[in-house]
Amino acid sequence: MKFIKRTDFIIIAVILLVSFISIGAYVLTARDSHVYAEIYLESDLIKTIDLSEGLDRHFSIEARPNVVFHQTADGRIRFEDSDCPDKVCINAGYLSISGQFAACLPNGLILKIVGGDKNEETPDMVVGNQGGSN
Amino acid sequence: MSGTKPVDINISSKRTKSLVLTGLLFAVAIVVAVLEGMLPPIPVPIPGVKIGLSNIVVMYVVFFLGAKQAYGIAVLKSFFVLITRGAIAGALSLTGGLLSITIMLLIMYFTNKKASYAITSIFGAISHNIGQFIVISLIYTGTSVWFYLPLLIVAGVVTGLLTAGILKIILPALNKLVK
Repeated sequence: MKFIKRTDFIIIAVILLVSFISIGAYVLTARDSHVYAEIYLESDLIKTIDLSEGLDRHFSIEARPNVVFHQTADGRIRFEDSDCPDKVCINAGYLSISGQFAACLPNGLILKIVGGDKNEETPDMVVGNQGGSN
Repeated sequence: MSGTKPVDINISSKRTKSLVLTGLLFAVAIVVAVLEGMLPPIPVPIPGVKIGLSNIVVMYVVFFLGAKQAYGIAVLKSFFVLITRGAIAGALSLTGGLLSITIMLLIMYFTNKKASYAITSIFGAISHNIGQFIVISLIYTGTSVWFYLPLLIVAGVVTGLLTAGILKIILPALNKLVK
Protein backbone atom coordinates (compact mmCIF):
# COMPACT_ATOMS: atom_id res chain seq x y z
CA MET A 1 0.00 0.00 0.00
CA LYS A 2 1.20 3.47 -0.84
CA PHE A 3 0.96 6.34 1.59
CA ILE A 4 -0.91 8.67 -0.74
CA LYS A 5 -1.83 8.56 -4.42
CA ARG A 6 -2.39 11.28 -6.96
CA THR A 7 -6.11 10.49 -7.27
CA ASP A 8 -6.44 10.93 -3.50
CA PHE A 9 -5.81 14.66 -3.85
CA ILE A 10 -8.76 14.93 -6.23
CA ILE A 11 -11.02 13.01 -3.84
CA ILE A 12 -9.87 15.15 -0.90
CA ALA A 13 -10.37 18.37 -2.88
CA VAL A 14 -13.92 17.36 -3.87
CA ILE A 15 -14.81 16.40 -0.29
CA LEU A 16 -13.46 19.69 1.09
CA LEU A 17 -15.12 21.77 -1.63
CA VAL A 18 -18.56 20.20 -1.08
CA SER A 19 -18.19 20.61 2.70
CA PHE A 20 -17.16 24.26 2.56
CA ILE A 21 -19.91 25.11 0.08
CA SER A 22 -22.56 23.53 2.30
CA ILE A 23 -21.17 25.26 5.41
CA GLY A 24 -21.26 28.58 3.56
CA ALA A 25 -24.77 28.00 2.24
CA TYR A 26 -26.07 27.04 5.68
CA VAL A 27 -24.49 30.01 7.42
CA LEU A 28 -25.79 32.42 4.77
CA THR A 29 -29.37 31.14 4.92
CA ALA A 30 -29.48 30.80 8.71
CA ARG A 31 -27.77 34.07 9.62
CA ASP A 32 -30.71 36.45 9.47
CA SER A 33 -33.27 34.29 11.19
CA HIS A 34 -34.63 34.95 14.64
CA VAL A 35 -33.02 32.46 17.01
CA TYR A 36 -33.47 31.35 20.59
CA ALA A 37 -31.07 29.66 22.96
CA GLU A 38 -32.39 26.74 24.96
CA ILE A 39 -30.68 25.40 28.05
CA TYR A 40 -31.38 21.81 29.00
CA LEU A 41 -30.53 20.25 32.35
CA GLU A 42 -30.57 16.43 32.26
CA SER A 43 -32.75 16.54 29.10
CA ASP A 44 -35.30 18.96 30.59
CA LEU A 45 -35.70 22.37 28.99
CA ILE A 46 -35.16 24.80 31.86
CA LYS A 47 -34.51 28.13 30.13
CA THR A 48 -35.25 29.76 26.79
CA ILE A 49 -33.49 32.98 25.84
CA ASP A 50 -34.36 35.26 22.96
CA LEU A 51 -30.94 36.02 21.49
CA SER A 52 -32.21 39.06 19.59
CA GLU A 53 -33.04 41.01 22.74
CA GLY A 54 -29.64 42.73 22.59
CA LEU A 55 -28.55 42.07 26.16
CA ASP A 56 -24.95 41.56 27.19
CA ARG A 57 -24.94 39.58 30.40
CA HIS A 58 -23.40 36.73 32.34
CA PHE A 59 -25.69 34.35 34.15
CA SER A 60 -25.92 30.93 35.74
CA ILE A 61 -28.81 28.62 36.41
CA GLU A 62 -29.72 27.84 40.01
CA ALA A 63 -28.98 24.11 39.83
CA ARG A 64 -25.46 24.65 38.40
CA PRO A 65 -24.03 27.84 39.92
CA ASN A 66 -20.51 26.95 38.79
CA VAL A 67 -21.44 27.07 35.13
CA VAL A 68 -21.50 30.61 33.73
CA PHE A 69 -23.15 31.52 30.44
CA HIS A 70 -22.34 34.66 28.47
CA GLN A 71 -24.96 36.19 26.21
CA THR A 72 -23.82 39.00 23.91
CA ALA A 73 -25.66 42.00 22.52
CA ASP A 74 -25.14 40.81 18.95
CA GLY A 75 -27.06 37.59 19.58
CA ARG A 76 -24.47 35.00 20.53
CA ILE A 77 -24.20 32.81 23.58
CA ARG A 78 -21.52 30.56 25.05
CA PHE A 79 -20.39 28.59 28.04
CA GLU A 80 -18.11 31.18 29.67
CA ASP A 81 -16.94 29.13 32.63
CA SER A 82 -17.55 25.68 34.04
CA ASP A 83 -16.21 23.46 36.79
CA CYS A 84 -16.09 20.38 34.54
CA PRO A 85 -12.73 18.68 33.93
CA ASP A 86 -12.60 18.61 30.13
CA LYS A 87 -13.92 22.12 29.26
CA VAL A 88 -15.41 20.82 26.01
CA CYS A 89 -18.39 23.14 26.57
CA ILE A 90 -16.22 26.27 26.85
CA ASN A 91 -14.14 25.18 23.90
CA ALA A 92 -17.23 25.11 21.69
CA GLY A 93 -17.14 28.91 21.75
CA TYR A 94 -19.96 31.27 20.79
CA LEU A 95 -23.14 29.88 19.28
CA SER A 96 -25.47 31.95 17.15
CA ILE A 97 -26.80 29.80 14.30
CA SER A 98 -29.85 27.58 14.50
CA GLY A 99 -28.68 23.97 14.86
CA GLN A 100 -25.51 24.73 16.79
CA PHE A 101 -25.16 23.29 20.24
CA ALA A 102 -22.65 22.88 23.01
CA ALA A 103 -22.83 20.29 25.74
CA CYS A 104 -21.33 20.02 29.19
CA LEU A 105 -21.89 16.33 29.84
CA PRO A 106 -20.31 16.23 33.33
CA ASN A 107 -22.85 18.85 34.44
CA GLY A 108 -25.70 17.41 32.35
CA LEU A 109 -26.14 20.72 30.54
CA ILE A 110 -26.90 21.30 26.88
CA LEU A 111 -27.01 24.71 25.25
CA LYS A 112 -28.84 24.65 21.96
CA ILE A 113 -29.73 27.24 19.34
CA VAL A 114 -33.19 26.81 17.86
CA GLY A 115 -35.54 28.77 15.66
CA GLY A 116 -35.27 30.35 12.29
CA ASP A 117 -38.87 29.45 11.44
CA LYS A 118 -40.35 31.71 14.11
CA ASN A 119 -39.92 34.84 12.01
CA GLU A 120 -43.64 35.55 11.84
CA GLU A 121 -44.17 35.57 15.57
CA THR A 122 -43.10 38.29 17.90
CA PRO A 123 -41.09 37.20 20.95
CA ASP A 124 -43.99 38.19 23.22
CA MET A 125 -46.36 35.83 21.43
CA VAL A 126 -43.91 32.95 21.81
CA VAL A 127 -43.56 33.58 25.52
CA GLY A 128 -47.33 33.85 25.83
CA ASN A 129 -47.89 30.59 23.97
CA GLN A 130 -45.51 28.72 26.21
CA GLY A 131 -47.14 30.14 29.33
CA GLY A 132 -50.57 29.18 28.09
CA SER A 133 -49.68 25.60 27.31
CA ASN A 134 -48.27 24.97 30.76
CA MET B 1 -1.53 -33.89 23.11
CA SER B 2 0.63 -36.72 21.83
CA GLY B 3 1.90 -36.84 18.27
CA THR B 4 1.39 -33.20 17.44
CA LYS B 5 2.69 -32.43 14.00
CA PRO B 6 5.08 -29.51 13.45
CA VAL B 7 2.40 -27.86 11.30
CA ASP B 8 0.03 -27.69 14.27
CA ILE B 9 2.70 -26.19 16.48
CA ASN B 10 3.29 -23.58 13.85
CA ILE B 11 -0.40 -22.69 13.66
CA SER B 12 -0.82 -22.50 17.41
CA SER B 13 2.29 -20.38 17.84
CA LYS B 14 0.97 -18.09 15.14
CA ARG B 15 -2.33 -17.78 16.98
CA THR B 16 -0.54 -17.13 20.25
CA LYS B 17 1.58 -14.50 18.58
CA SER B 18 -1.51 -12.82 17.15
CA LEU B 19 -3.20 -12.95 20.56
CA VAL B 20 -0.23 -11.43 22.37
CA LEU B 21 0.23 -8.80 19.69
CA THR B 22 -3.44 -7.81 19.77
CA GLY B 23 -3.33 -7.54 23.56
CA LEU B 24 -0.18 -5.46 23.39
CA LEU B 25 -1.60 -3.13 20.75
CA PHE B 26 -4.82 -2.79 22.75
CA ALA B 27 -2.75 -1.68 25.76
CA VAL B 28 -0.91 0.82 23.55
CA ALA B 29 -4.26 2.16 22.23
CA ILE B 30 -5.55 2.69 25.78
CA VAL B 31 -2.36 4.45 26.92
CA VAL B 32 -2.36 6.69 23.85
CA ALA B 33 -6.05 7.55 24.42
CA VAL B 34 -5.38 8.45 28.07
CA LEU B 35 -2.35 10.55 27.13
CA GLU B 36 -4.36 12.34 24.46
CA GLY B 37 -7.00 13.15 27.07
CA MET B 38 -4.33 15.02 29.05
CA LEU B 39 -3.49 17.30 26.12
CA PRO B 40 -5.24 20.66 25.97
CA PRO B 41 -8.38 20.55 23.79
CA ILE B 42 -8.17 21.74 20.19
CA PRO B 43 -9.83 25.15 19.82
CA VAL B 44 -12.35 24.41 17.08
CA PRO B 45 -16.07 25.27 17.10
CA ILE B 46 -17.16 21.63 17.10
CA PRO B 47 -17.98 20.01 20.43
CA GLY B 48 -15.42 17.42 21.48
CA VAL B 49 -13.30 17.03 18.35
CA LYS B 50 -9.93 15.39 18.91
CA ILE B 51 -7.20 13.92 16.76
CA GLY B 52 -7.99 10.36 17.82
CA LEU B 53 -4.39 9.25 18.25
CA SER B 54 -5.43 5.79 19.38
CA ASN B 55 -6.91 5.32 15.90
CA ILE B 56 -3.32 5.00 14.69
CA VAL B 57 -3.16 1.69 16.52
CA VAL B 58 -6.60 0.63 15.27
CA MET B 59 -5.51 1.46 11.71
CA TYR B 60 -2.36 -0.60 12.08
CA VAL B 61 -4.46 -3.56 13.22
CA VAL B 62 -6.89 -3.10 10.30
CA PHE B 63 -4.05 -2.90 7.78
CA PHE B 64 -1.76 -5.63 9.08
CA LEU B 65 -3.48 -7.97 11.53
CA GLY B 66 -7.06 -8.46 10.42
CA ALA B 67 -10.72 -7.65 10.86
CA LYS B 68 -11.34 -9.82 13.93
CA GLN B 69 -8.52 -8.26 15.91
CA ALA B 70 -9.54 -4.75 14.88
CA TYR B 71 -13.16 -5.23 15.98
CA GLY B 72 -11.91 -6.85 19.17
CA ILE B 73 -9.77 -3.85 20.04
CA ALA B 74 -12.60 -1.42 19.20
CA VAL B 75 -15.06 -3.27 21.47
CA LEU B 76 -12.56 -3.58 24.33
CA LYS B 77 -11.57 0.05 23.99
CA SER B 78 -15.16 1.28 24.17
CA PHE B 79 -15.65 -0.93 27.24
CA PHE B 80 -12.68 0.86 28.78
CA VAL B 81 -14.25 4.22 27.88
CA LEU B 82 -17.57 3.01 29.34
CA ILE B 83 -16.09 2.23 32.76
CA THR B 84 -13.88 5.32 32.89
CA ARG B 85 -16.00 8.02 31.24
CA GLY B 86 -19.58 6.79 31.36
CA ALA B 87 -22.29 5.29 29.19
CA ILE B 88 -22.64 8.06 26.60
CA ALA B 89 -18.90 8.27 25.96
CA GLY B 90 -18.80 4.46 25.72
CA ALA B 91 -21.64 4.36 23.19
CA LEU B 92 -19.92 7.08 21.14
CA SER B 93 -16.62 5.21 21.17
CA LEU B 94 -18.28 1.93 20.16
CA THR B 95 -20.34 3.32 17.27
CA GLY B 96 -17.51 5.46 15.93
CA GLY B 97 -14.99 2.64 16.22
CA LEU B 98 -17.14 -0.06 14.62
CA LEU B 99 -18.29 2.17 11.76
CA SER B 100 -14.79 3.42 10.95
CA ILE B 101 -13.29 -0.10 10.99
CA THR B 102 -16.11 -1.37 8.77
CA ILE B 103 -15.63 1.45 6.26
CA MET B 104 -11.84 0.98 6.19
CA LEU B 105 -12.22 -2.78 5.65
CA LEU B 106 -14.77 -2.20 2.88
CA ILE B 107 -12.43 0.26 1.14
CA MET B 108 -9.55 -2.23 1.37
CA TYR B 109 -11.80 -5.04 0.11
CA PHE B 110 -13.29 -3.20 -2.85
CA THR B 111 -10.01 -1.64 -3.99
CA ASN B 112 -8.06 -4.87 -3.55
CA LYS B 113 -5.85 -3.16 -0.97
CA LYS B 114 -4.82 -0.64 -3.63
CA ALA B 115 -6.24 2.37 -1.80
CA SER B 116 -3.58 4.43 -0.05
CA TYR B 117 -3.12 4.66 3.72
CA ALA B 118 -4.07 8.32 3.62
CA ILE B 119 -7.40 7.96 1.84
CA THR B 120 -8.39 4.88 3.89
CA SER B 121 -7.52 6.74 7.07
CA ILE B 122 -9.47 9.82 5.96
CA PHE B 123 -12.62 7.82 5.24
CA GLY B 124 -12.13 5.96 8.51
CA ALA B 125 -11.93 9.25 10.41
CA ILE B 126 -14.94 10.73 8.61
CA SER B 127 -17.08 7.67 9.31
CA HIS B 128 -15.88 7.67 12.93
CA ASN B 129 -17.14 11.25 13.28
CA ILE B 130 -20.41 10.53 11.50
CA GLY B 131 -21.03 7.42 13.61
CA GLN B 132 -20.54 9.42 16.79
CA PHE B 133 -22.72 12.20 15.55
CA ILE B 134 -25.59 9.83 14.73
CA VAL B 135 -25.49 8.65 18.34
CA ILE B 136 -25.39 12.23 19.67
CA SER B 137 -28.38 13.24 17.56
CA LEU B 138 -30.28 10.13 18.72
CA ILE B 139 -29.54 10.95 22.36
CA TYR B 140 -30.42 14.63 22.07
CA THR B 141 -33.42 14.25 19.82
CA GLY B 142 -34.27 17.31 17.84
CA THR B 143 -30.67 18.38 17.57
CA SER B 144 -29.86 19.07 13.95
CA VAL B 145 -27.01 16.99 12.58
CA TRP B 146 -26.84 18.95 9.38
CA PHE B 147 -25.03 22.00 10.65
CA TYR B 148 -22.15 19.91 11.96
CA LEU B 149 -22.00 17.30 9.22
CA PRO B 150 -19.77 19.26 6.78
CA LEU B 151 -17.60 20.48 9.68
CA LEU B 152 -17.14 16.90 10.86
CA ILE B 153 -16.21 15.80 7.35
CA VAL B 154 -13.55 18.52 7.14
CA ALA B 155 -12.31 17.55 10.61
CA GLY B 156 -12.17 13.93 9.44
CA VAL B 157 -10.01 14.85 6.45
CA VAL B 158 -7.55 16.70 8.69
CA THR B 159 -7.35 14.12 11.49
CA GLY B 160 -7.33 11.23 9.01
CA LEU B 161 -4.33 12.69 7.18
CA LEU B 162 -2.59 13.37 10.48
CA THR B 163 -3.05 9.87 11.89
CA ALA B 164 -2.04 8.27 8.57
CA GLY B 165 1.11 10.42 8.56
CA ILE B 166 2.02 9.43 12.12
CA LEU B 167 1.38 5.76 11.31
CA LYS B 168 3.68 6.07 8.30
CA ILE B 169 6.42 7.50 10.56
CA ILE B 170 6.14 4.89 13.33
CA LEU B 171 5.51 1.96 10.98
CA PRO B 172 9.16 0.78 10.87
CA ALA B 173 9.24 0.69 14.69
CA LEU B 174 5.93 -1.21 14.84
CA ASN B 175 7.12 -3.73 12.26
CA LYS B 176 10.26 -4.36 14.30
CA LEU B 177 8.04 -5.04 17.31
CA VAL B 178 5.92 -7.50 15.35
CA LYS B 179 8.84 -9.50 13.94
